[in-house]
Amino acid sequence: MAVTEARPKPIAPEPYRRRVLEWLTTTDHKKIGILYLVNSFSFFVIAGVMALLMRSELAQPGTQFLSARAYNQVFTEHGTLMIFLFIFPTLAGFGNYFVPLQIGALDMAFPRVNALSFWLLPVGGLTIVSGFVAKGGAAAGGWTSFAPLSEQLGTGEDLWIAGLLLVGAASILGAINFIVTILRMRAPGMSMMRMPIFCWSTLATSLLVVLATPVITAGLIMLFADRHLGTTFFSAAKGGSPLYWQHVFWFFGHPEVYMLILAAWGIVSEILPVFSGKPLFGYRGVVLAFLLITALSFSVWAHHMFATGAVELPFFSITTEMISIPTGVLFFIWLATLWKGKLRFEVPMLFALGFVAMFLIGGIDGVWMAAPAMDFAIHDTYWVVAHFHYVLFGGTVFGIMAGIYYWFPKITGRMLSRRLGLWHFWLQLVGFNLTFFPMHMLGLQGMPRRIADYAPDRGWNTMNLLSTIGAFVIGLSMLIFAVNVILTLRKPRTAPADPWSGNTLEWATTSPPPPHNFDRLPVIGSARPVYDARLAGTVAEGDGT
Amino acid sequence: MGRRGRWRLFAGAGAAAALFLSACARQGATVQGEEIHRLYGIIQGLAAFVFVLVEALLIWSIIRFRKRDEAPPPQVFGSNRALVGFFAFGAVIVAVLFPFGEQTLSHVQRQEPPLVNLRVEAFQWEWTAYYLNEGIFTTGRTLKQPMVMELPVDEPAHIMLVSRDVMHEFFVPDFLFMRNAIPGHPNTFTFTPNKIGTYQAQCAEYCGLWHSRMTFVVKVVSPTDYAAWVKDKTLHAIGGNCSPNGASVHLTAKNTTWSTNCIAIPAGQRLSLTVTNLDDGVDHNFGIWPSIQDAIAKKGQLYQTGRFPGVATRSFDVTATTTLKPGRYYFQCDVHGVAMAGAFIVK
Repeated sequence: MAVTEARPKPIAPEPYRRRVLEWLTTTDHKKIGILYLVNSFSFFVIAGVMALLMRSELAQPGTQFLSARAYNQVFTEHGTLMIFLFIFPTLAGFGNYFVPLQIGALDMAFPRVNALSFWLLPVGGLTIVSGFVAKGGAAAGGWTSFAPLSEQLGTGEDLWIAGLLLVGAASILGAINFIVTILRMRAPGMSMMRMPIFCWSTLATSLLVVLATPVITAGLIMLFADRHLGTTFFSAAKGGSPLYWQHVFWFFGHPEVYMLILAAWGIVSEILPVFSGKPLFGYRGVVLAFLLITALSFSVWAHHMFATGAVELPFFSITTEMISIPTGVLFFIWLATLWKGKLRFEVPMLFALGFVAMFLIGGIDGVWMAAPAMDFAIHDTYWVVAHFHYVLFGGTVFGIMAGIYYWFPKITGRMLSRRLGLWHFWLQLVGFNLTFFPMHMLGLQGMPRRIADYAPDRGWNTMNLLSTIGAFVIGLSMLIFAVNVILTLRKPRTAPADPWSGNTLEWATTSPPPPHNFDRLPVIGSARPVYDARLAGTVAEGDGT
Repeated sequence: MGRRGRWRLFAGAGAAAALFLSACARQGATVQGEEIHRLYGIIQGLAAFVFVLVEALLIWSIIRFRKRDEAPPPQVFGSNRALVGFFAFGAVIVAVLFPFGEQTLSHVQRQEPPLVNLRVEAFQWEWTAYYLNEGIFTTGRTLKQPMVMELPVDEPAHIMLVSRDVMHEFFVPDFLFMRNAIPGHPNTFTFTPNKIGTYQAQCAEYCGLWHSRMTFVVKVVSPTDYAAWVKDKTLHAIGGNCSPNGASVHLTAKNTTWSTNCIAIPAGQRLSLTVTNLDDGVDHNFGIWPSIQDAIAKKGQLYQTGRFPGVATRSFDVTATTTLKPGRYYFQCDVHGVAMAGAFIVK
């Protein structure tokens, strides 16, 4: 018997299709912020798996998992993706979500430009990764892509250039948007010197992007022209010089390092006061340090080129050592903020403390290399790999994780599990040190970076094996993190507006915030409006609405 | 554990970490390397002080200032005086550190009148060292045999470092020294090995596919051993002997090595030459010279093809061979020099 009952036609479009369309076309800074985070963590998984592949290959001498050809592609893509598609866009994603909330704005200054600057990212990232299916494989010139080697490489290098041009355009557009938003969209009472420190760090980052990223854009176009249009910018045989590429690259590349860490400093400088119950010790000092570092970062680039023997050594040595002064100030301010506080060891606080402890090591490592004579002994060895991972993983990734645990309830309305968070933190801390501390020793023992293999008689076997074991411990910690996120997202939205007793405006609205961000803003009379309101009793602590 | 116990623990851990790192730093097998090792120790001392200070304050705060009650902590916003102090702390460290670094640098950069004068060439993925005073050279075979260069102990060696293709880096870990080989930009430096021994070395600047295999060996030997080695190495014609097999020759270049080190053709004939370059993205060419000395001096080249990158095969109709008198000549890839060469015999 046929069923003849007519189905009523749906009045609204399919909810699923509508939701997808909404995400694809959104100009809401919060949705775009979430897109940034999802995109970034997707690339984090890809680049993280590449790291495990490399460590597996290096665990023992000999070729086991990756041929030299594959290894060279993998380390190039690992660095490129981690820097340009994970770390930087994650910080930009936090910026997108929280800068408007923290300054009491409705949205970013240019919402459509904001959407554009996000959507260029996955396109650029996939362009870079697509090298793996191109003839000759993916780019294999390292993330630094030094000429003239980069002029020899195949199609993968062109895709790498094209992808980075897109990612660079995205970050320049995003930075302009941040600068205008921060300068023009602040709520009444939110003066520059009352602005949350994370906004200051985003402003400093954006200034760096606007000043430095066009330089690498020009460099990439010159490289492309050398490869295909017969120009000779970087070709010594025809009147150019490979050193020009290094100057262009590092003039961008060193400010880039600060683009990758400033916002993490900002996050940590938000979290330490909240969980110490004290204000930041020396808000002006942090702002001053940020601005000094931003300015100085343009005068240190050639410390990456000491071993070329073709740069003014004392000048770049002293500027590099000088930049450690404001960086040191940050450490003292963080310590003074903790001093005599009432410390609550929630997961975000643990990651922030881990950041301070680990980034310190990365910073100190750098001081060795700032002395050119010392640099001659350890440059281009695993010491450098240890150094920048202590800065970018021990520093930035710990800062990013602090930010994720801190802001997850605000973004999703759900609290991440503390139990799993503790497992994540301790495994990440142990795994990180096990992976990267031995690299100091490998560097001192003369193991160069970027080698696919090494002879068994060089005395590098034990440290490499330890490092590989550590890498898999990090992998395990990230699995626990993923489980935590997935399990939490299946729970109901029960997070209160202000679960941590925060200081800044994002905690004055619901979790998650409504599309228009605020139903009403508290009075902004200091750098801690939510603290003030809590003290005055106008916001009930732990209020869920 | 009491407070004092904790402090001892922190201090002990810091000292252990410092010892751990210093134990791994090489002593330096040159006069300059020893200076760098001393600088390492000085920075180590300053670093250990800062590390222990900050980490101890951090761990102390974590233990001491854990939240135990609901009383609000003091709201301290910081002072200008404290800020000045924070800036001054770093400034003092830099003021101490920088002069030590510069002093060592001036020692390392000092050029002494050398006994050994070398021109070291780096290329994908091999090294060749020419001893300019002795008139000898030493080279390796990519992926097969690393270059072995000998140096007399306690004598300054002056090196002019050049690259034939991309960026490379001359790195001898035990000398605590590296320097880039840059196309179009020769670098010069001097060092004085002062400990007899065999030192593993390799390229430290990523240079493409076989970067990890671009190793070499530096042997620092007594003056008598050095003299014997030089005698043994004294310039000689490359390659063995072979007989012509018609006037057509197919050469293959793979991993910067020719498929043969001897070519022979009948006198008075043109040579039909096919060159297959299997080195992806790397240029090779084929050149004929009267002798290896002429090739090194770059004079009197008899024939050369254009250079072309792999993977590719090119054919050449060589008429220059018709006028060659019977005898021994020399061929090489002009991009890679003596490391990629052989005897060219006309019979």
